[in-house]
Amino acid sequence: MSAFLDMGGYAAYVWPAYAVTLTVVVLNIVWAQRLLKRSRKEALHRLAIGGTQK
Amino acid sequence: MTNSGAMGRRDDAPVREHEGTPIPARGDHERSAVSALSAARLMLARDLKLAFRKRSQLVQPLAFFAIVTTLFPLGVSPELTRLRPMAAGVVWAAALLSSLLALELLFRDDAQDGTLEQYALCGRSLTWLLAAKTAAHWLLTGLPLALMAPLAGLALGAPTAAVPGIVASVAVGTVALSLIGAIGAALTLGIRRSGALLSLLTLPLEIPVLIFGARATELAIDGRAYGAPLQLLAALAVLGLTLAPLAAAAAVRINLE
Amino acid sequence: MAWTWFHRLASPPHVYRLAGRLTPWLAWPAAVLIVAGLIGGLVLAPPDYQQGDGYRILYVHAPSAWMSLMVYTTMAVAAAIGLIWRMKVAHAVAASCAPIGASFTFAALVTGSLWGAPMWGTYWQWDPRLTSELILLFLYLGYMGLRSAFDDVQRADRVSAVLAIVGVVNVPIIHYSVIWWNSLHQAPSVMRLGKPTMPLPMLVPLLMMLLGFTLFFGALLLVRLRGEVLSRERAASWISEAVRP
Repeated sequence: MSAFLDMGGYAAYVWPAYAVTLTVVVLNIVWAQRLLKRSRKEALHRLAIGGTQK
Repeated sequence: MTNSGAMGRRDDAPVREHEGTPIPARGDHERSAVSALSAARLMLARDLKLAFRKRSQLVQPLAFFAIVTTLFPLGVSPELTRLRPMAAGVVWAAALLSSLLALELLFRDDAQDGTLEQYALCGRSLTWLLAAKTAAHWLLTGLPLALMAPLAGLALGAPTAAVPGIVASVAVGTVALSLIGAIGAALTLGIRRSGALLSLLTLPLEIPVLIFGARATELAIDGRAYGAPLQLLAALAVLGLTLAPLAAAAAVRINLE
Repeated sequence: MAWTWFHRLASPPHVYRLAGRLTPWLAWPAAVLIVAGLIGGLVLAPPDYQQGDGYRILYVHAPSAWMSLMVYTTMAVAAAIGLIWRMKVAHAVAASCAPIGASFTFAALVTGSLWGAPMWGTYWQWDPRLTSELILLFLYLGYMGLRSAFDDVQRADRVSAVLAIVGVVNVPIIHYSVIWWNSLHQAPSVMRLGKPTMPLPMLVPLLMMLLGFTLFFGALLLVRLRGEVLSRERAASWISEAVRP
C-alpha cells in the first residue's frame, strides 16, 4: 500500500496532479448544479411576482 | 476621381457627405465588385486624408515603439553582444504592443460620430469598406513601424546588412497584425475602456504572426536566408486579408444593431 | 423527419426537458468509466520503463488536454450554428461550454507542469503543447471576458460567436506554429512515453478516461444548458410547468 502511495518516488507530483484534476471535476459539478438551482429559483420568483418582464 | 457616371448612380439617390468625401448610396440592391472596389478606394483616400489632419496622433504608436525598445537595454544589459540574440524578439514584442495601441485609430472616431453606422447602411459592401479602412490603418501605422524597426534592430546590435530583412518581415507581419487587430477592434466596438479586453482578445490570435515574424527577423539579423518564414508570414497575411474584413464586418454589424 | 428533430432542438422547453432526461444517461456511464480508468491507470497498468510510476499523470493530463480542445471546438460549432440559424439554444450551448473548457485547460496546464517537473527539473518549460494550452486558456478567458462585457444577452451571444469562430480557425495555426517554433529552439519534449506505441494495459485505462471525461462533459453541458435556457427565457409560459416542484 505504501509502495502504491509512493508512486515510485514520484508521489509529490502524481498525487497533486490527481488532486487538482479531481478538484476541477468536483467544482464543475457543483458550479453547474448551483447555476441550475439559481436559475430555477429566479424563474420561480419571476413567476411569483407575476408577470412578463424583459 | 469620382465614380458617379460609371456606377450608374441614379439622380435621385441620396449622397451622404462626410468631411467632404461623398460615398454615394445605392438606391437599388445591385452589387458589383467594381462598385465595391471604387467605394473602397474612396474610403482609403478619406481615411488617409483625415488621419493626416491629426498628425500628432500618428506619431504616438511610433514613440511608444521606441520607448518600449529602449526598456530592454535598460532592463537587461547595455552590451550589444547580449542584446543581439534577443533583438528580433524585442522588436516584435514592441511592434505587437504598438500596433495594439494604434488600433484605437481604426474605428473610434467613426463609431463615435455615427459615420460607421452610415457605412453599414449605405448598401455598399461593408467588408470591402473595412478592408480599405484596415489598409489605411496599415499605411499609417504598420508601414512606419516597418521603417522604424531597423533602427531599433541596429540599436540592439543588429548588423546593417540585416536592414532589408527587418523591414520586409515587419512590413508583411504588420499587415497581418492590422487585419487581426481589426477583428478585435470590431468585436469590442461598443465597450467602454476596452483596452485590456482588446489586448486579451487580439494578442493570442497574433501569436503565429509573432512566431514567424520574429523568426524571419532573427534569420535576417544572423545573416541567413529568411525566405521560408517570410513566406509563411505572407501566407498568414493573405489568410487574414480574405477572412478578417468579413469577420470584422459581421462584428461591426452586430455591434451597431 | 430529420428536420423535425432538428427544429425541436430550437425550442427551449423541449431542450430543457430533454436535457434533464438525458443527463443521468451520460453522468452514470461517465462515473463508471472514470473510476475504472483510475483503477486501471493507477493500479493495474505497469510502470513505464523510462519514467517509472511518474507517467501515471498521463491519466489525468491527457483527458484534461483533450477536454480543453474538444470543448473549444464544441463551443465554436455551437456558436456558428447559433449565428447562422439564429438559434438561441445554440448560443446557450456555447456559453455553457466556456467555463468548463477554461477550467480543464487550467487542469491540463497544472498537471502538465507537474508531469514535466521531475522530468525537466523545472516546473515550467516552453514545451509546445503546454505553450499551446496556455494560449488556449487566454482564448477562453478572452471569450468569457467579451461575453461579460455586454449587458444585452443577444448581442453578447452574437459578438462572442464571431470571436469563437475566428478563434477556432486560429487554434490549429497557433498549435502548429508553436510546435515549429519549439522545434527550432528546444530538445524534444518528454511528454510522451518511451515506447512509440503504448501497450494495451496502459492504453485501455487511457481510453476509458478519455471516453469517461467526454461523457462527463456531456452531462455537465446538459446541466449548465438547462440553467442557461431558464435564465434566458424570461416570461415564457412553459417555465411555470417546468420548474414547479
